[in-house]
Amino acid sequence: MVKFTADELRRIMDYKHNIRNMSVIAHVDHGKSTLTDSLVAAAGIIAQEVAGDVRMTDTRADEAERGITIKSTGISLYYEMSDASLKSYMGERNGNEYLINLIDSPGHVDFSSEVTAALRITDGALVVVDCVEGVCVQTETVLRQALGERIRPVLTVNKMDRCFLELQVDGEEAYQTFQRVIENANVIMATYEDPLLGDVQVYPEKGTVAFSAGLHGWAFTLTNFAKMYASKFGVDESKMMERLWGENFFDPATKKWTTKNTGSPTCKRGFVQFCYEPIKQIISTCMNDQKDKLWPMLQKLGVTMKSDEKDLMGKALMKRVMQTWLPASTALLEMMIFHLPSPSKAQRYRVENLYEGPLDDQYATAIRNCDPEGPLMLYVSKMIPASDKGRFFAFGRVFAGKVSTGLKVRIMGPNYVPGEKKDLYVKSVQRTVIWMGKRQETVEDVPCGNTVALVGLDQYITKNATLTNEKEVDAHPIRAMKFSVSPVVRVAVQCKVASDLPKLVEGLKRLAKSDPMVVCSIEESGEHIIAGAGELHLEICLKDLVDDFMGGAEIVKSDPVVSFRETVLEKSIRTVMSKSPNKHNRLYMEARPLEEGLAEAIDDGRIGPRDDPKARSKILSEEFGWDKDLAKKIWCFGPETTGPNMVVDMCKGVQYLNEIKDSVVAGFQWASKEGALAEENMRGICFEVCDVVLHADAIHRGGGQVIPTARRVIYASQLTAKPRLLEPVYLVEIQAPEQALGGIYSVLNQKRGHVFEEMQRPGTPLYNIKAYLPVIESFGFSSTLRAATSGQAFPQCVFDHWDMMMSDPLESGSQAAQLVTDIRKRKGLKEQMTPLSEFEDKL
Amino acid sequence: MDLESYYEIDRTAEFILSRNFARVALQFPDDLLKDATKVVRALHTKLASLRASSGEEIRGDGDIGLFVMADTTFGSCCVDEVGASHINADCVIHYGHACLTPTSTLPAFFVFGKAPINVSNCVNNLLHTASTAGKPVMVLFGLEYAYAMLDLKKAMLEALVSYESQAELEIQFSDVVCSVLDPSGKSGDSGGIMELVGVSHANDAAGVKTDTRHSTGGLVWNVPQGRKVEEYSMFWIGSENAAFANLVLTFNGCEIVRYDATEDRLLTDLSQQRRILKRRYFLVEKAKDANIVGILVGTLGVAGYLHMIHQMKELVTGAGKKAYTLAMGRPNPAKLANFPECDVFIYVSCPQTALLDSKEFLAPVITPFEAMIAFKSGSQWTGEYVMEFRDLVTSSPEEVRKPSEEARFSFLKGGYVEDQNLDGIDEEDNEYLALGHATEKALSLLDRHPDSVVKGTAKSGAEFLAARTYHGLDMDSYSSTPEPFIVGRSGKASGYEDEKSCDKD
Repeated sequence: MVKFTADELRRIMDYKHNIRNMSVIAHVDHGKSTLTDSLVAAAGIIAQEVAGDVRMTDTRADEAERGITIKSTGISLYYEMSDASLKSYMGERNGNEYLINLIDSPGHVDFSSEVTAALRITDGALVVVDCVEGVCVQTETVLRQALGERIRPVLTVNKMDRCFLELQVDGEEAYQTFQRVIENANVIMATYEDPLLGDVQVYPEKGTVAFSAGLHGWAFTLTNFAKMYASKFGVDESKMMERLWGENFFDPATKKWTTKNTGSPTCKRGFVQFCYEPIKQIISTCMNDQKDKLWPMLQKLGVTMKSDEKDLMGKALMKRVMQTWLPASTALLEMMIFHLPSPSKAQRYRVENLYEGPLDDQYATAIRNCDPEGPLMLYVSKMIPASDKGRFFAFGRVFAGKVSTGLKVRIMGPNYVPGEKKDLYVKSVQRTVIWMGKRQETVEDVPCGNTVALVGLDQYITKNATLTNEKEVDAHPIRAMKFSVSPVVRVAVQCKVASDLPKLVEGLKRLAKSDPMVVCSIEESGEHIIAGAGELHLEICLKDLVDDFMGGAEIVKSDPVVSFRETVLEKSIRTVMSKSPNKHNRLYMEARPLEEGLAEAIDDGRIGPRDDPKARSKILSEEFGWDKDLAKKIWCFGPETTGPNMVVDMCKGVQYLNEIKDSVVAGFQWASKEGALAEENMRGICFEVCDVVLHADAIHRGGGQVIPTARRVIYASQLTAKPRLLEPVYLVEIQAPEQALGGIYSVLNQKRGHVFEEMQRPGTPLYNIKAYLPVIESFGFSSTLRAATSGQAFPQCVFDHWDMMMSDPLESGSQAAQLVTDIRKRKGLKEQMTPLSEFEDKL
Repeated sequence: MDLESYYEIDRTAEFILSRNFARVALQFPDDLLKDATKVVRALHTKLASLRASSGEEIRGDGDIGLFVMADTTFGSCCVDEVGASHINADCVIHYGHACLTPTSTLPAFFVFGKAPINVSNCVNNLLHTASTAGKPVMVLFGLEYAYAMLDLKKAMLEALVSYESQAELEIQFSDVVCSVLDPSGKSGDSGGIMELVGVSHANDAAGVKTDTRHSTGGLVWNVPQGRKVEEYSMFWIGSENAAFANLVLTFNGCEIVRYDATEDRLLTDLSQQRRILKRRYFLVEKAKDANIVGILVGTLGVAGYLHMIHQMKELVTGAGKKAYTLAMGRPNPAKLANFPECDVFIYVSCPQTALLDSKEFLAPVITPFEAMIAFKSGSQWTGEYVMEFRDLVTSSPEEVRKPSEEARFSFLKGGYVEDQNLDGIDEEDNEYLALGHATEKALSLLDRHPDSVVKGTAKSGAEFLAARTYHGLDMDSYSSTPEPFIVGRSGKASGYEDEKSCDKD
């Protein structure tokens, strides 16, 4: 631990070239937090006066209990490089002192929104991969996210100790495993390559891959060994590094390097010969307590042990020896300092991703140059509950300028539109705070390139916001974060005692703030809804709500519910017609399903209401086979004007049609939000206006007549086009040994899931299974799975797509009809669907 | 039941004569309209015979004028004073279900009608409820059963004698406010049922008269000091109508059971009604997000309605939103959809017509009380519910509101939403500039969403219109040449003469 005063820390914050902001990302249980702990133990910054009585790793009780990380936590590390080790560093620097702001993020997929929030405010990522399990689904997800944010990754192959102690594999086999892990990671990185970021793949021979054993606190990069051997072989370090990886073999008998295994029994791969074997030897010597052999070996390596440590035995001795020989902090921190960008370097290329406004204005320039004298640009990526109940720190990163205590800032919320007053506040920062371990220290100001927590803004920021100086009215906000998970699981909550409602409302407000993903909303029936990414996420949210945010009031929660979508299977069997209330106007319409992939294209924003009509018609005609002219006749999208349904005008020569367009659109927005089956959103339906007959007087074809009629005719056309329900489906990835497969299959079958990929991980006894599982069946899935496989299978579920339920909701007794009835009952609607005759009129 | 007693011809005639009214309006709801002529005939006969019997000389101005009013503009439970004033009536006789909200100018006499009820069954049910509830029971009833209350009480007293073994049962009855409303103040408790006041069961706690008075839907009752209304269990005799819905909403903390007299059964499951309250809560939350508010004038008779409308307007503008006042009689979906710019409507009317909730409405319709919760900063939904807006009228315009500390959290959007009043003030300073901004904004809005009218984005009617694709008449044609004279259409809207051929449905 490094003891610091706030002033000393603040001093380093000005050296923008000597700061590294980085996150630790990985699949669940690959050892992020353990590895982080070993770094913190060596280099963590704590306030001088509290040294000794703070435990850095002390986090939420439930995190410890479950053994998983739930919230991402930031920690600052201090590291002083020696001149010798810096001599090959080419980048800019101010002295040898480095400040590393490290954010440990959760690995469970339900909390990947926390990862997103962490990535936004960092420039580099330490990707941790279990050397046995290899690259898993969540590794891939977070890597993809990181590269999307232009975060430069470095890799560490973790849990090396398993190779030596548990699996006891020989050198060549271990090399192959490591090589495969690195290759797999590189395949992913290569797919998301980005010219500005350059080559983001990792290479052990370039020092961007480390090998670590978080649990035992040691790690190395090839640099460590290269330094050791370079002088011995009389080559320079970089040359030596290349020899220590890849197809380079050394035969001690002939003392020759070859690029092929010569077949002689003493010829071994460079990595095996010079890195793996020595470590293996040390470890086995320690484990066997052959101290007489050990001390000379250590002396040769230049490792000196303290006398009391010499009495240790077995595992403890091994741990101590390895930590002294190859301390994790040195290897990893040096790797980060060398290969991860400083804020000033990273912001040069990240500005494009970050800034929404024109890239040549003063704000973009200030971000690009990481200019502390420029206008303030600060992104708040998450809210952290403060110790006084109900208040939050706004935690974020300063991208340009300086934020200081008392500064008046413009808060631009996620819905802010430049030039308007929507979602905009001007408020003063009460305090600027930095973390010194667990303790917060108030500082005068924080310059760009650093993370900061602000006090006094929490009543204006829900989850995230962009801050700038009060007078900078023409600044655009920093782009909103895009999450890889969506809140598909919902639960209704109400208070046990009706008069506690204000407490519940307050609690939900705080909950919404405390988590980047959770959505607190209200249903038409007046029930409060909490929506989260998965069962575990919801469980944690509810726990937080009850324990921390409700002031002791009790709540009742419903069973988890899933929202559905309504769609159609075919084109309407006939053109349906509805008359306006005054019977003088008639609308004729048909519904048909949108082409496959079109709804997703609308979701992704590739097609939307704000497109240039020409560009839109090009995509529609080329990719989805639309008629070019028709593509220009899209009236609108919905619900909420951007949803995956549309109205298309197919009529010819209708008088006054332009007058009722707005009314039809209004009716469509309304109807597509609450479909005819169960008032769920519609999805993937195209409504074609076939013909319109209107009254000659404008007053008799006004909104009052047309809006309700448009809604009715939309319902009628939906009901005549074989309406179907869409249910959300998870992509499940499970990793398990072969003997657990039977259990996995039977649980999946029982839960209506189906496996579409089963692959053995090369070199391991583990299988990788990918399956689709309806979200509604996923409740209790992980516990059932664990029970069926005696704890060997652990699923990761991510929302993947909407799947059509083939049973007909209009046929009574069918599964879909039952679902519709249940939803209607829950929403307090009439259990019977409104029949078609209520919507369709006859001539 | 014969006409005379059902319509209380005798009592009505006495009332008219005792006050010397010369022009009397008879207001019938639609379902009783079929009896209107018979009632008028009977009243005429009765009036004539009464006058003759009293030996009064028929004065020069001749007969008393009786006028039948049908199809009221607003709810038929309210006294249609505007309709009555068309014929310069001196008073209104109101038939059928009434909400008994005070009138502003005319005296009104109410005939509730008499619905059949099986008194002994009702008593049995009541006693059963009382013995199982373990709480004091308050009996409330639909006004059409008011006539039977005396019998009911008698029957109950008798039944209680045989019930003696049981622990003390506390049953209290509510009373009808009055059957005559006179805004001039000389209130007359001349109605026959008025003697009920204060009649309560022997087992009642003493000192009933002192204490908190509660009322709903024309009924009043007292709750003794030191007791809360929540401690009562309510027993409602009558159908599931608006009055009952109001009761459930207003006293949502109480246990309520309903005795349905027509079907002769006791209903204890009121989950459907409970849902209404939650639904109203949702509507309030939704209203908070509104930018444009329509105030619907739902009554021209209920005392204080004008004050209420003004108060609502102040409230809405005070919250930084735009208010438009609309008078359209009884609202229906088609009428309201003519104002798609309004995000929410406040319906100022008598309590029994105030609850309008149908999925057919494009925008929610809320009551003034709900509007208070939604638009007054710092107010919260606590479960308390007030139907009658008389209770809401504040004497002082508005206490000075301190600017809210926190941005408002919208549960519909799941995040903080700005309230415009926070920055509305500095906009006032340079109004002409603001106007320019608004126009500019409206125009840019049009550019960006060429084909969408998004509810809830526009902040005023003008802005909404600007965002539409169709703006009505094209005002840009400034050509100086005179346009040719064109003969317009003639005929009815259901089919003009020039289009008779095509429109045949």
